[in-house]
Amino acid sequence: MSKSEYHRADERRFLDERGSSGPLAPNGLNPATIMEKAVRERIVDSYFYKEQCFAVNEADIVDRVVEHVDFIGGVYGTVQKPTPFLCLAFKLLQLAPSDAIIDEYLSFGGEKFKYLRALALFYIRLTRQDKDVYTLLEPFLEDRRKLRRKGRAGTSLMYMDVFVDDLLTKDRVCSTSLWKMRKRDILEDLELLEPRVSPLGDIEDLLDEMDEVDGNGEVRNGDGNHTDGDDDGSSEGEVRSRRWRKSSADRLSPQGGDSMDIDGPDDRRRSSGERSP
Amino acid sequence: MSPSSIVIGRIALGQAHIIDVPQSIVQTPTTQSASVVKMSAKDSSAYGQAAGDTDFRKKYDLDEYAAKAKDREAAEKEERKARWEAKMAGKKYYKPMDGSETLTTARNATQDFRKLVGTTTLVPAGAGVGKRGRSAGFYCEACDLTFKDNLQYLEHTNSMQHMRNIGQSGEVHKATAEEVHARIELLWERLQEQKRDQVISLQERLAVRKEEDEKEREEKRRKRKEAEEKRKLAKEEAVKVKTEYGEDVRIEGEHDEDDMMAAMGFAGFGTTSKK
Repeated sequence: MSKSEYHRADERRFLDERGSSGPLAPNGLNPATIMEKAVRERIVDSYFYKEQCFAVNEADIVDRVVEHVDFIGGVYGTVQKPTPFLCLAFKLLQLAPSDAIIDEYLSFGGEKFKYLRALALFYIRLTRQDKDVYTLLEPFLEDRRKLRRKGRAGTSLMYMDVFVDDLLTKDRVCSTSLWKMRKRDILEDLELLEPRVSPLGDIEDLLDEMDEVDGNGEVRNGDGNHTDGDDDGSSEGEVRSRRWRKSSADRLSPQGGDSMDIDGPDDRRRSSGERSP
Repeated sequence: MSPSSIVIGRIALGQAHIIDVPQSIVQTPTTQSASVVKMSAKDSSAYGQAAGDTDFRKKYDLDEYAAKAKDREAAEKEERKARWEAKMAGKKYYKPMDGSETLTTARNATQDFRKLVGTTTLVPAGAGVGKRGRSAGFYCEACDLTFKDNLQYLEHTNSMQHMRNIGQSGEVHKATAEEVHARIELLWERLQEQKRDQVISLQERLAVRKEEDEKEREEKRRKRKEAEEKRKLAKEEAVKVKTEYGEDVRIEGEHDEDDMMAAMGFAGFGTTSKK
């Protein structure tokens, strides 16, 4: 990291310096300490990291993602093995790719390889400034591709938009504590961000429409605020959907959505785009 | 060297000996013995007269090797000094780079240690103490070290020591956005290619499967026919046994009836339907 045109092949200097001389991430955090120490040490000790993340540069990251990443997650199993996803995220923290490269990962590569996009989204959330995080992540609330997620208890199904939403609203994702961003409405008040337009249209119109329909089970949620009850990232997908429904019900009730049937029998798929601020 | 030149050398040395000894007697005994050893080590035997039947031995150019040894010692001394300096500075010593190092690149394949399972490797006798040299385990050619498990081996291949030995600098080229773009495209193309191949091979597989099924059926038919044939033969055999007795198994009077029936052209009473 000290030389401008080369990376070090291993992470030793990155970890030794602990950010004392290396550059900081755009959000002012030290990239060497963004992940927790326990997780960091597990990553550096893992066989995958030693074998596949050695001497890797930004282009090789794509190789590794395509070849080895077929699920997201932090640490998994009883021995809390770090996932390849997490190892590569750590490697990205070391490489500190530029915005242009991130954009390649997100849009051009992301269209083709969904886990590459997931990795880039995760990395952006860890390192970029809050207004950039919102502007970069929100477009992908419309990406509805499936993702496999491995946690400590097992594998579960996930969607890209849910992942993005977790990144925006939760404070612990993939065994990593996410840094506390300012809320979207604060940034809007500061005029750093434009108010978000939901792909479903205006929220007031939607609510009026729902009142007219009077409790049709098909129409779900559509709130603009983000008082999120979810606090631990280690939750599993099986219980997640239930809790999501519950929390969305909580959120909706003060807004006059009393007539909505949120636990409708056809509620198999969470609609995207509405949960996030 | 031809034999004649050896002879000349011997004669000359013999003379040198004769001349040399009285001179060295005047000197101290230690220097005398040293000079004698030196002379004899150089060109002749320890007994003053070289054997004539040792021409087949390799002739060493002692001056050349002395120069080599001097060079090596100088280099070692220099390295020792560098090591000592690194130690004083609290750093780890690595061989200094000479500018010919290449950049380190990522591995492009996983090392498959499973293929080593069940293989046999010849190991020199006396090997197997410590890591140095070739012995049983994972051997690194460049560093001449052997490791007992693949994790140690992998850690070694990531080490600076190993990288210096294989002439790498431990630095990695920084990729640009264009390179990343090109890589994504390449990987995507490869994936598409694989998919196309898979479709073709699926059809092929179906064809192969059909063929295999046909073969299997043929085999079954053949086996069934064979079994039928065998049964038939066995039955005929049984009939034959009934009619053709050897003289030794005949019991007086018992087979008269059978014989008579055989002579008349049938084997026995019973159903006439073919079995």
